[in-house]
Amino acid sequence: MAGAPPAAPRGFLGAGRPPAATDAPLLAPPLYKGRPQRGPDRGRCVSRTDLRSGTMADQSFVTLATNDSYVKGALVLGSSLQQYRTTRKLTALITPQVSDLMRRVLEKVFDEVILVNVLDSGDSAHLALMKRPELGVTLTKLHCWELTQFSKCVFMDADTMVLSNIDELFEREELSAAPDPGWPDCFNSGVFVYRPSIETYSQLLQFATEKGSFDGADQGLLNTFFSSWATTDMSKHLPFIYNLSSTSVYSYLPAFKAFGANTKVVHFLGSTKPWNYTYDSRTKSIKGNMDDPKIVHPEFLNMWWDTYIADVLPLLEQHGIVKEITPGVNMAEVTEAVSHVSVSPLLPTESSEERKERWEQGQADYMGVDSFDNIKKKLDTYLQ
Amino acid sequence: MPLARSLSMTSLNGLLQCEDEDLPVEDLLLFEISWEVTNKVGGIYTVIQTKAKTTADEWGENYFLIGPYFEQNVKTQVEFTEPPNPAVKKAMDTMKSQGCQVFFGRWLIEGSPYVLLFDIGSAAWNLDKWKGEFWEVSNIGIPFHDREANDAVIFGSLTAWFLKELSCQFDDKPNIIAHFHEWQAGVGLILSRSQKLPVATIFTTHATLLGRYLCAANIDFYNNLDQFDIDKEAGERQIYHRYCMERASVHCAHVFTTVSQITATEAEHMLKKSPDVVTPNGLNIKKFSAMHEFQNLHSMYKARIQEFIRGHFYGHLDFDLDKTLFFFIAGRYEFSNKGADMFLEALSRLNFLLRVHKADVTVIVFFIMPAKTNNFNVETLKGQAVRKQLWDTAQSVKEKFGRKLYNALLKGEIPDLNKILDRDDISIMKRAIFSTQRHSLPPVTTHNMIDDSNDPILNTIRRIGLFNNRTDRVKVILHPEFLSSTSPLLPLDYEEFVRGCHLGVFPSYYEPWGYTPAECTVMGIPSVTTNLSGFGCFMQEHVADPEAYGIYIVDRRFRSPDESCNQLTQFLYGFCQQNRRQRIIQRNRTERLSDLLDWKYLGRYYMHARHLALSRTFPDKFEMEPSAPPKTEGFRFPRPSSVPPSPSVSQHSSPHHSEAEDEDEDERYDEDEEAERDRQNIKSPFSLGALPQGKKKQHGEYRN
Repeated sequence: MAGAPPAAPRGFLGAGRPPAATDAPLLAPPLYKGRPQRGPDRGRCVSRTDLRSGTMADQSFVTLATNDSYVKGALVLGSSLQQYRTTRKLTALITPQVSDLMRRVLEKVFDEVILVNVLDSGDSAHLALMKRPELGVTLTKLHCWELTQFSKCVFMDADTMVLSNIDELFEREELSAAPDPGWPDCFNSGVFVYRPSIETYSQLLQFATEKGSFDGADQGLLNTFFSSWATTDMSKHLPFIYNLSSTSVYSYLPAFKAFGANTKVVHFLGSTKPWNYTYDSRTKSIKGNMDDPKIVHPEFLNMWWDTYIADVLPLLEQHGIVKEITPGVNMAEVTEAVSHVSVSPLLPTESSEERKERWEQGQADYMGVDSFDNIKKKLDTYLQ
Repeated sequence: MPLARSLSMTSLNGLLQCEDEDLPVEDLLLFEISWEVTNKVGGIYTVIQTKAKTTADEWGENYFLIGPYFEQNVKTQVEFTEPPNPAVKKAMDTMKSQGCQVFFGRWLIEGSPYVLLFDIGSAAWNLDKWKGEFWEVSNIGIPFHDREANDAVIFGSLTAWFLKELSCQFDDKPNIIAHFHEWQAGVGLILSRSQKLPVATIFTTHATLLGRYLCAANIDFYNNLDQFDIDKEAGERQIYHRYCMERASVHCAHVFTTVSQITATEAEHMLKKSPDVVTPNGLNIKKFSAMHEFQNLHSMYKARIQEFIRGHFYGHLDFDLDKTLFFFIAGRYEFSNKGADMFLEALSRLNFLLRVHKADVTVIVFFIMPAKTNNFNVETLKGQAVRKQLWDTAQSVKEKFGRKLYNALLKGEIPDLNKILDRDDISIMKRAIFSTQRHSLPPVTTHNMIDDSNDPILNTIRRIGLFNNRTDRVKVILHPEFLSSTSPLLPLDYEEFVRGCHLGVFPSYYEPWGYTPAECTVMGIPSVTTNLSGFGCFMQEHVADPEAYGIYIVDRRFRSPDESCNQLTQFLYGFCQQNRRQRIIQRNRTERLSDLLDWKYLGRYYMHARHLALSRTFPDKFEMEPSAPPKTEGFRFPRPSSVPPSPSVSQHSSPHHSEAEDEDEDERYDEDEEAERDRQNIKSPFSLGALPQGKKKQHGEYRN
């Protein structure tokens, strides 16, 4: 071409790759180009203080999220509490596995989001964990007794949601809970009323260190600690409708038909959580295996997903966590795209079967035990 | 011109003979396993289907393809037969007796290879068990919701089961080679290895899963290749299990191959393993019996395109169609992956150059990229109608004129040329010309686009202002639909269209292989490709001066986008400066490269991979020099002995070279001599490194 370098008639690159510096083409331009930055938050989430004037400031609902998936559950729980106009505060405990983005979303719904790091605390909890490493999550949960800024709290698992206002629970005393469907002489620790107290907290920790938990989790520990629950004060027995296990629908169907309409809190027990299902927003139905009783009676699951889509998804979108939704996609999959599900190595070691299940729910711990390096080690056991 | 016309054949012939590459196929069984055997999903189908003939010729009755059974595919593509090999039959029967449906037949494509098809549905009841087994050996779990991955587990388990039933019947021979394509087949490989089956395994990726995802997300991929945390990227994209299946297959295979150098680089970073062999993709080349038949086809189809142009540009035909070049880009509508962004910018610059240098060439560029449309637009159809009308007018006037002339000649007179057209004729013609007046510019697109205002090509055209103005030397036509020979606008199919064009332009950013430029090449049409496409890398490696052979390779890897765009502009500009004769010579050279893309030759890389796999699996029986990694160097098309027809920038300071210079070049070009030279070069075997050496000695050993 004749010497003259082509004076570019127009700018290029408007739509192309970012221009590398001309003299150093390998100088890396930013890794991600143009990930959409969302504008300031708008939408359905109204500031909570406006919503409820008569907040009982020293009482709170408390939940716990140990990873980004559970945050989704917590968000649905929080939204459902708001929807039924609770007058109490909302508090979420989170562990370091929760990503910053998800934490920011939580802050939109909860009044307080508190990071609990058992490993960093350097206190007796840490000590207890060293002695009883299998109690990792349990010990995290016990932190709820430390919330002494409140006089009374109701703890609710992140896999529960409310179907009506349940503020009346605050009239109950510690430790009030509903019976466990599997062993009604024990209470289910998915919903319970308690009084935060450092003293109780230390007693629990000490108890945990010395006696452990008969089921390896918080429910066993709490049932042993509050062992008089089954026999003494009937007022501490919450009606089952305050913690209705979603599995009870099919285990005692006639009862469910008779009383199910009064349900106030539903608890999604079992290994497959609502966010693990695939929801088709066109047909407003859950897709899945027809042998799964939750699918056969999907009423509660649908309620969960309705709340998720109406109240939670818009928040996630605002924070750029979920891109625009196409009908029929697996929402869980989309949301998952940015969550890092990783389990701290000090948490209880899972069995192979549990790990496989996690994979099958699309939640491989790819930054931890399931990293390819570990897979490679496994493969190398039979390659020569 | 100090070009190396003295380059002699002998200097190129330091190549190894490849006859000892032959394996004792009678003592071997070869299985190729892919989800796309008889089942067209994507590009792998093309690879396997075109390659089948070459491999079947080599392996005869000992070659089997393994794929999934789908009734609708099998109905039209497979003819059931009994397996001729008793061991295969026995293995199939064992599987059938345990409730799995297995089919055997011939695939009705060239070479008619045997196919073994597994009915995935009939074996689905084993899914949980097989997923458990796969978990036990690999620690990779498969999510419920990923149907494709679950199918892959069933398919892989069936494959491994079959290989086990088969191999347990043999003592010493025949030995089995199993060649797995893509991650969907990989489970079979991993399971075979974990069961320590006596099978030599090969795994081929045609692109990496993660690379494809990252590029689709518009990430600056190649500049950051070594910076990705790949576990994390795969996990965040919800493809972690698939990525693990792919990477585990690569890790377990005796021999790992990819289809191109660029994919090899990609694999090095996305799978953390460099391939042992690069196995490029080929085509089934049909040779015309007549020499240069492709040149005749070019002019024939070019005339058809010109007809379309006459209609499309009616009222604006102030350019010489004989000096008009047709460029095109074609493929899936991936604006930046296919490089349409860069192409448009280069066209804008080319337009500027041609105008500044007052060039008399006009370039018309076709974008054949399907998008959503509401059929043809009125203006385009009208153009063709106007052309038709003018044609009819000319015909009727010609008819009258001819009769008068005939009558005059019968009378022995020369007709009075002033009277031969009467006023009627003149007014008919004036009316016809009047109707061709047009107040709008010739349309940029032939169709009504559904999402006109957001279409990336149209928006870029708006931005750079290539609106087919009279002064523009570059005109653009977006045809957002696949071509069809029944189209009322441009009644040509894709192959005919390509043959009628002068240059295909494919400045892709992500292109693991790139069949489009390869197809151009075998039709003798020059093309632009990039060093980020597998095809571009391949040509760079095998042709000393690709430009002379009509393969322009844009450097998009080591240059900034702006520099790459300039380079592309220079290629296009250089191409525009060639005269007709130079273009003909270039097309001849391009077409000669087609031998290079023939499976007959490229199949050798597959042979090499098989041999390597055998030597690694059964080192006592099949020896191979262990040290030398296979190299493809050594074989190269030389520079053509005459001066390259392309007046590329480095050689000419002036865009217009003198007649004398042309003469000079013409004299140096001797088609037959040059063709013969190239042909001999092609016939030279590919060097695959030092492998065949010393193997010849072992030859007898196979046949013990």
